[in-house]
Amino acid sequence: MNLIAILWRLASFAVAAGFIALWQLVANFKLVSPVFLPGPDRAWASLMRGFSTGDLWSKLAGTLEHMAYGWLAALIAGIAIGAIIGSSLMMRTYVAPSLEFLRPLPVSAMIPVAIAMLGLTQAMALFVIAFGAIWPIMLATIHGFAAVEPRLYEVARSLQMPRLAVVFKIALPSASPDILAGMRLSLTVALILSVVCEILAGLDGLGHWVLLSARAFRSADLFAGVILLAVIGYLTSVAMSLAEHRLLAWQAAQR
Amino acid sequence: MVAAAIRQEIAVSVSPPPQIAFADVTLELGGKTIIEKLSLGVRPGEFLCIVGASGCGKTTALRLAAGLYQPTSGKVNFDGQPMTHPRREIAIVFQDYGKALLPWRNAAGNVSLALEAAGMKASERPARIEELLRTVGLPGHAGKYPTEMSGGMQQRLQIARCLAQEPKTLLMDEPFGALDAMTRQGLQDEVLALVAASGASVIFVTHDLDEAIYLGDRVIGLLPHPGRIGIELAVNLPRPRNQLSTREQPEFLRLRRQLFDFIKATEQ
Amino acid sequence: MNPATAKDRVKALVLPLALVLGFEAWARASHLQSDSLAPPSAIIMALAGAFADFSILAATRDTLFSAFTGLAVGSIVGLALGIAFGISDVLNRLMEVTIEAIRPIPSIALLPIALIALGFGYRMEILIVAFACLWPVLILSRAAVRGIEPRLIEVSRALRLPATQRVWKIIIPAALPRIFVAFRLSAGIALIVAVTVEIAINPLGLGAGIMLAQQALRPDLMLAYLVWIGAIGYALNILLVVAQHRLFGRAALSGDSP
Repeated sequence: MNLIAILWRLASFAVAAGFIALWQLVANFKLVSPVFLPGPDRAWASLMRGFSTGDLWSKLAGTLEHMAYGWLAALIAGIAIGAIIGSSLMMRTYVAPSLEFLRPLPVSAMIPVAIAMLGLTQAMALFVIAFGAIWPIMLATIHGFAAVEPRLYEVARSLQMPRLAVVFKIALPSASPDILAGMRLSLTVALILSVVCEILAGLDGLGHWVLLSARAFRSADLFAGVILLAVIGYLTSVAMSLAEHRLLAWQAAQR
Repeated sequence: MVAAAIRQEIAVSVSPPPQIAFADVTLELGGKTIIEKLSLGVRPGEFLCIVGASGCGKTTALRLAAGLYQPTSGKVNFDGQPMTHPRREIAIVFQDYGKALLPWRNAAGNVSLALEAAGMKASERPARIEELLRTVGLPGHAGKYPTEMSGGMQQRLQIARCLAQEPKTLLMDEPFGALDAMTRQGLQDEVLALVAASGASVIFVTHDLDEAIYLGDRVIGLLPHPGRIGIELAVNLPRPRNQLSTREQPEFLRLRRQLFDFIKATEQ
Repeated sequence: MNPATAKDRVKALVLPLALVLGFEAWARASHLQSDSLAPPSAIIMALAGAFADFSILAATRDTLFSAFTGLAVGSIVGLALGIAFGISDVLNRLMEVTIEAIRPIPSIALLPIALIALGFGYRMEILIVAFACLWPVLILSRAAVRGIEPRLIEVSRALRLPATQRVWKIIIPAALPRIFVAFRLSAGIALIVAVTVEIAINPLGLGAGIMLAQQALRPDLMLAYLVWIGAIGYALNILLVVAQHRLFGRAALSGDSP
């Protein structure tokens, strides 16, 4: 990063700091009731307290676990199913339209069905998270596989490449930009559904933490939890960006 | 003149069996007859050029030779055996080189694809890749990605990958059509040298009549709708060919006139 | 992609029809007794019943009201900010860190805040929907403004148009097709977030309806709500796609994600 970019970045941080200062002012002058809006100082104090007592660590771990298991299951199943459907014209004609139809369906509407089947349990949460997270990945994989340059398939045929080699050496790399975009979306979905399931089922996690804090009007704890959720969202986004940067370096060369 | 006549006679009487042979091949696609009862053959080591107006089915004929299409009737034979699927010994160089190269692999990786498909051990590949890249004039570009290369370089890379298949026959579909004249002429001579060194037979499709005569031992002109042979010329020009002197030869100009008149007639 | 032929459309229906009929047959044959599943025929009956007593219609009205109001608020704010950030590179760069910090907050995480601030009801839901819709509209309309043909900006400068006129007469119309795509995306998000908030905690709308049906151990009614919610989402999407084609035709087709 050159000097100008660094300076802009610093200025941007300064602006953000300014907003935080504004927030502190509003809190100090009690322009909004402290029951609803704690100052950044109290939110920070609550964060520190939560971590030192270990409470927030376990909540954080809980949410991350829900996200991780659900997302990984969705990743494996989504890519596998998406690859099968995407590489077969017949499947695409018969199956893909139904999937497209289901795309705008709010995944959270499946939650009551999951509760009916599995009760207010971890299993229900995992099912819901995986079910929700599978859609972006699967649909992106189908699209990626369907959009492989046909000329490359002809090259593969001419080289008499075996089926598996075609999938791993041609289709998958070709579809990887789409698949990575789908993975990114799935992470967002996994986070949201983790929070919702924790709220509904009282499972150990940040969602449950913020709900309890809200019920008890502990606004500082509430904000601490929200901040942590934002941090999870931010860090997972950064992680995906790094992965994309690594794996899609060849695309960058195109620009 | 006498020597040429004797050479032609000898060529006819002791011609080796064709590498690729079309026997009354008809292909129908989407309800249309693209080519009808096409019979032709290319001998081992022979450079055959196919020309014709748009829609005469020359690209289709090439794809049949590659095994990418199956004939509706008639047979396409390779080494005397009917072809049911594409084979590694037949390499096809596509016109849209950008689409035929893997954008996520660098030059070495693209050449490596053919070696991997042939089952070459990983330890043996780098040496062969370097050799092939040098042969096509891309030494030291092994780490470059296709999108970082010019059109001419990309086409050379595709040729390198095809050569990695150790083909008995090289099929080329208007490979230089998208390139500028200078690059085209350079690549024409490079291809002639490569083919002479490897001994592969070539079927070269082009709409450039000069190119067809310059490169070929024989030129076939197809008539359109449906595709069938309209003219066949033996190119008795000395090898190695030279961009300046060969193109000035009276024989070159005579063949050129013949082909030009043929194409003109078909376009009516 | 090839345009869908009539034959393709018929083929697309084969799988869902087969599944529905197969499920119906299996449910009847096994005399299904379950808290979570119901045969399609029972679902249709329950749906009809919910229509007849207007319960589902009232719920639909409530959900759509929250969703659209939130969409409107979020879109207006997002559009205003998006245009501002798109026009002024300085403003955009200064606000980068702030935006990057607030953007990853999952809208649902604001639910408890909205809850203690506004209590149950429309307002908290509208607030959360607005927050969720704001971001895609902001990001995409900023990109749309940035992507405007530079010639047009030069023309507006040459004509010495005052800022408001420049925005109104040149920038917005030029960026409108892509802004509409952003709006379409956000509409889908609005519906999803509204239903999610209702399922999580808010006792109104379709989300509450489906949760109540589940708690009352009425799988037929629960699945009826599920089907209806899906139908609404689908219809909304189709409506907006048609509107997009009508209003913008080919102009909006670029940047359209599948």
